Amino acid sequence: MNAPLRQLTWIFTRDVTFTFGGGNASMELLRRSLQSRGWIDAPTHALLMAVSRLTPGTSILAYCASGGWLLNGWRGTLAAVAGGSLPGSLIIFGLAATLGTLDRYALVRALLSVGMLAAAWLVLASAWVLLKPYVTTARRRRALVIVAIAATLYLIGWTPVRVLLVSAIAGALLPATKRGTLEHPPSPTATMPV
Amino acid sequence: MSVVIVYLLLLKATVTSFAGMGSLPQVRQDFVDTHHLVSADELSEAVLIGRATPGPMGAYVVAVGYQAAGVRGAIAGWLALVTPAFLALPLLVTVQRWLHLPRVRALVDAVVIAGATMLVPAAALLAFDGATQLLRLLY
Repeated sequence: MNAPLRQLTWIFTRDVTFTFGGGNASMELLRRSLQSRGWIDAPTHALLMAVSRLTPGTSILAYCASGGWLLNGWRGTLAAVAGGSLPGSLIIFGLAATLGTLDRYALVRALLSVGMLAAAWLVLASAWVLLKPYVTTARRRRALVIVAIAATLYLIGWTPVRVLLVSAIAGALLPATKRGTLEHPPSPTATMPV
Repeated sequence: MSVVIVYLLLLKATVTSFAGMGSLPQVRQDFVDTHHLVSADELSEAVLIGRATPGPMGAYVVAVGYQAAGVRGAIAGWLALVTPAFLALPLLVTVQRWLHLPRVRALVDAVVIAGATMLVPAAALLAFDGATQLLRLLY
């Protein structure tokens, strides 16, 4: 699809640059913005999340790059990555060059903490949006096994990428379920455009 | 120190990490311990600025680049921040090409589920940090 470049740039700039709490919160805002315009659906968002987590570097920028690619090819990728990184980088550059540490200002600390609470809510919402298609169907047992593996490894201190790799291997090795029946509906990523 | 070296050192840190602040140990080792391009205090300041501003967490490397090599260093930091993102494109194309295979789809589903699972403790940490900071300000 060819999403309007100017609108695409603005959405990625707004949802990434003006969000406290890191990439997870930004991804949830992007999902809402892009889905409300009909540019992506839930399975596409799930695929973008998976790809961005497996890509080295900052996950939200990998999400921007791959989302921009799906929405407007190379131009979309460049616009989304620039929109998601340039304004924030300019702010950081400006602060590094002038102010120094910001957190000595009480107002800044208060705004930051409120922003973090809002971001925590967004991140939880994002987790539910991703997990819901799996845990509310007959395939929930398979999903819960992977949840248990991921949670255990993460809580004992494994790095996220190792957790993802082990979960991916477990997912590929677990017995496959039938597709497209009422008891075994297709996975959220099954309707992905290929 | 050449700005190209600053870029390569920051790229080494960003391309070998899988989260915004995951590059910090490598940046500390290269910029503070090995090459003495920034002091430990300057690095802490860069991290604080990155955390106190909206946008990607990993953007603190822009401040590190600035502290190491001025404006050109900041540009090198931004380039090191965005370069790994483009690795997502071959990964996306590959996954899309093979997604019709049940095993590949099961693998991607598992990554989605595991990624979502790890969001829960991340949200809890954010909420805890935010609430603690707010309570400290109020009392």
